Amino acid sequence: MHVPHLLSIVTLGPIAAAAVLALIPERLARLHRWLALIVSVVLFAASCLIWVGFNPNLPGFQLDSGPIPWIPQFGISYHLGVDGISLLLVLLTTLLVPVVVLGSWRSVTEHVKGFHICLLLLTAGMLGAFLSLDMFLFYVFWELMLIPMYFIIGVWGGPRRIYAAVKFFIYTMVGSVLMLVAILYVAWYHHQLTGVWSFAYAAFLKTGPQLAMGTSFFGSPQMLVFAAFGLAFAIKVPMFPFHTWLPDAHVEAPTGGSIILAGVLLKLGTYGFLRFNRALLPQAWEAFAPLLMVLAVIGIIYGAWVALVQPDMKKLVAYSSVSHLGFVMLGLAAGTAASTQGAILQMVNHGLSTGALFLLVGVIYERRHTRMIADYGGIATVVPIFTGAFLLVTLSSIGLPGLNGFVGEFLILAGAWQQHPVAVILGALGIVFGAVYMLWMVQRVFWNPFSHEENRSLKDMNLREVLAVAPLLVFIVWIGVHPTTFLSPMEAAVRLLLGH
Amino acid sequence: MPTHSDLLALLPELVLTLSAALLLLFEAFLPSLKRYASELSLLAIVGAAWARLTLPLPGASWNGMLQIDAVASFVDLYILAAMFLTIWMAGPFLRRNHAEHSEFYALLMLAAVGAMIMACSTDLLPLFLGLELLSIPLYVLNAFFRRVPVSLEAGLKYFIVGAFAAAFMAYGIALLYGATGTTDLVNMGRVLSAAGGISPWVAVGLSMVIGALAFKLAIFPFHGWAPDVYQGGPTPVTAFLSVVPKGAALVVLLRLAQGLDLLRLDSHWVWAAGIMAVASQTLGNIVAIVQRDIKRMLAYSGIAHMGYALVGVIVAGTDGSSAVLFYLAAYTFMNIGAFAVVALLSEGESEAHVISDLAGQGWKRPVLSLALTVCMFSLAGVPPFVGFAAKFLVFRAAVNQGLIWLAIFGVLNSLISAFYYLRVVYVLYMRPLPKREPAYPRSRTITAVAAVAALAVVVVGILPTPLLAAARSAAGMLVR
Repeated sequence: MHVPHLLSIVTLGPIAAAAVLALIPERLARLHRWLALIVSVVLFAASCLIWVGFNPNLPGFQLDSGPIPWIPQFGISYHLGVDGISLLLVLLTTLLVPVVVLGSWRSVTEHVKGFHICLLLLTAGMLGAFLSLDMFLFYVFWELMLIPMYFIIGVWGGPRRIYAAVKFFIYTMVGSVLMLVAILYVAWYHHQLTGVWSFAYAAFLKTGPQLAMGTSFFGSPQMLVFAAFGLAFAIKVPMFPFHTWLPDAHVEAPTGGSIILAGVLLKLGTYGFLRFNRALLPQAWEAFAPLLMVLAVIGIIYGAWVALVQPDMKKLVAYSSVSHLGFVMLGLAAGTAASTQGAILQMVNHGLSTGALFLLVGVIYERRHTRMIADYGGIATVVPIFTGAFLLVTLSSIGLPGLNGFVGEFLILAGAWQQHPVAVILGALGIVFGAVYMLWMVQRVFWNPFSHEENRSLKDMNLREVLAVAPLLVFIVWIGVHPTTFLSPMEAAVRLLLGH
Repeated sequence: MPTHSDLLALLPELVLTLSAALLLLFEAFLPSLKRYASELSLLAIVGAAWARLTLPLPGASWNGMLQIDAVASFVDLYILAAMFLTIWMAGPFLRRNHAEHSEFYALLMLAAVGAMIMACSTDLLPLFLGLELLSIPLYVLNAFFRRVPVSLEAGLKYFIVGAFAAAFMAYGIALLYGATGTTDLVNMGRVLSAAGGISPWVAVGLSMVIGALAFKLAIFPFHGWAPDVYQGGPTPVTAFLSVVPKGAALVVLLRLAQGLDLLRLDSHWVWAAGIMAVASQTLGNIVAIVQRDIKRMLAYSGIAHMGYALVGVIVAGTDGSSAVLFYLAAYTFMNIGAFAVVALLSEGESEAHVISDLAGQGWKRPVLSLALTVCMFSLAGVPPFVGFAAKFLVFRAAVNQGLIWLAIFGVLNSLISAFYYLRVVYVLYMRPLPKREPAYPRSRTITAVAAVAALAVVVVGILPTPLLAAARSAAGMLVR
């Protein structure tokens, strides 16, 4: 089935929906929730249509929407397109949005209208950033995510939400402003080479590799441009040592905010590394790859160790993200086809499992208003459905064979093994640590002797909560059992991107 | 003798001048018409804008002293738009403060005429006239609330500093005339390029003229007056003051930079102006962070913004000039939008406009707060708002000219500025309403001004092409 401008509909649809919500009075909170839910489900259906219409044999971008001249004086146009890499991330994003709406059904009680408007604008920003084929457009969408997320953390967050929101905003902006200069520089260089002004990704793809390498860092345009892009993405990922905003943002954000933040926003960092640093600046990538790999391994181990000692479940999951994203970066830095595919799949996996973990932590927090591991213990018999779901997600997160996490980690480590055995061994150690901190938390929360009487009356998950987590569990199992469904669409695109 | 076509070329200015005179006569002889003063002025502005849009642009007129070209037209329209919004919000504002006098509107219109004359001057003499015509009404307007001490203080400060600037300007003109034998910028450019460099007299004269303009722009190190004057003046006057004189002065700077080809004439220009630009940005942004009064904060933010705009002046050429013109228009919308909200969300003119008094208003006054939020994000340079497009143009021009350091300082400064712009948003939405709710007035008109400005910030931000095209064709005239 062919729908013209499907990508534009998916990207701009949420903005239109947000405008509609803005017109509906605040007091109709239920209507806001239901509308947001319907829109997000339709959005997921629409992105499934993209999946159906996607031809996995074509390596390049397809289903283009545009290019439509936007600021023709400078060769800036509105242009969206999808390839195998962005396809998966778009699916992940649209899958998580209804989950967020359902997960916030009871926890967001104030300013319901504002919350859903922010969520929809955020969705548009994320999808636009994944689909943009124009650097200016990408930058606009990239920054567009900032404002709604700032509000989501700052208005609906926990006690230290202001600090966390401002920290999030400033950290992200630190990276992106220099990226803007880099984009301007490459556009100028493109004009020098060809005499044409253009911000098209395709144009940058030709010009980027021609940037001079030079002998020193400061004398090398390509290295400097790489650093400017890389800083923006390294903060977003976040790579060690740029990760300090993440625990604050996660802990203070409301459940829905954490799901989106961990599930999608972090992926924009790794996606950016792959799409821009890797593809546009291949020589600088060669030079920087060892550094990226070292930082990735540090991130894996450091994130795991810090997670181990967290008394707060949400903070534990937050630090586990640092560790998991380290795996993704390891896969990208190793640069083989297998490790890159693994990294992309791992982005999706992490979005699913961490999104589900944040959702589940939110579920129990709503009941007991505490996230401290020590406040629970032996609750498996009280909340069996919850326990089952939590356990499945935990096993996915630690990479049990048969579930999604295993496939991604295996591909990354196998792909990196030949060239970088040391990194692989250290990374594998990280998997062990991961199993330790996750299972230890599960043991203390669910299995230990029953310790707190007030947990006796905990209610198990209701239908809404089950419906929220179910789609994530379906994909967790699906990717684990039959990864080919998800690996085959990106194969051609990855090969093209890596230049094989 | 001015010819018929000379007069026609200045028709918009004449319309405003005559309307101002009429308003003054009404005040004296027909006080019953007083309450229509703001409507009458709005009508005059529309008339002037219509004249500017429909009449042909004759180019050089008044013996070549004025250049009524696309640049002048662009700036005129921008000044008229700024004045329209100012007067629109001034009506209810004056009523609330029991200061409904037609002189207010008359003086504003005269000041605008001065700014418009400045913008089309290619000769230093009408430039000086325009500068004075712009400044003198503003001295009075700043002190308009004569029973409010801070207002008087603002008027006096602006007067003293303005007198200094005028003296600088006159002295600079005298020196330049002495050294080059002409006050016409084009001839001066020829003389200078023939001389192949600049003599100390020219250097001193130019520095004084540029310094005088920098006073009007509140660019470092001539910025000291801005915070007190902004804080004390009546809010609509502050809105006007924050955009119109700056626009006129920037265009004069552009004509200077372009006409004398400063970029190539003397290598010190880039460094001197570049340092002024970066210092303005840095100082403005850092000091703005610690301000508690929103009007003072906007003053420092204005110092920073003129620093960004100055980068465009340094680059000059089509890219730089069009970036400056675009920046002016963008800055007008976001600044006037912000001041319109400030005019409403305060308990009175004699009170301080403390930022923390906005606590919780976000959910109580959604339209106003959203307008202020949009303006704040736009001032911070976040897409998709027009402030981003403006900064993008300026930094793009700098990068293309090889002045990457100016672009890097610019973006880092945008980053610093996010701190204080965000704080306003944070107070609006993330702080609870205080126990004793402030009794802020309501006014449909002022809300409409804020909404229109914010809407322009969004729409032009997303679709900058028409404005950019206009700015570029105007800049093309300048470069020619």
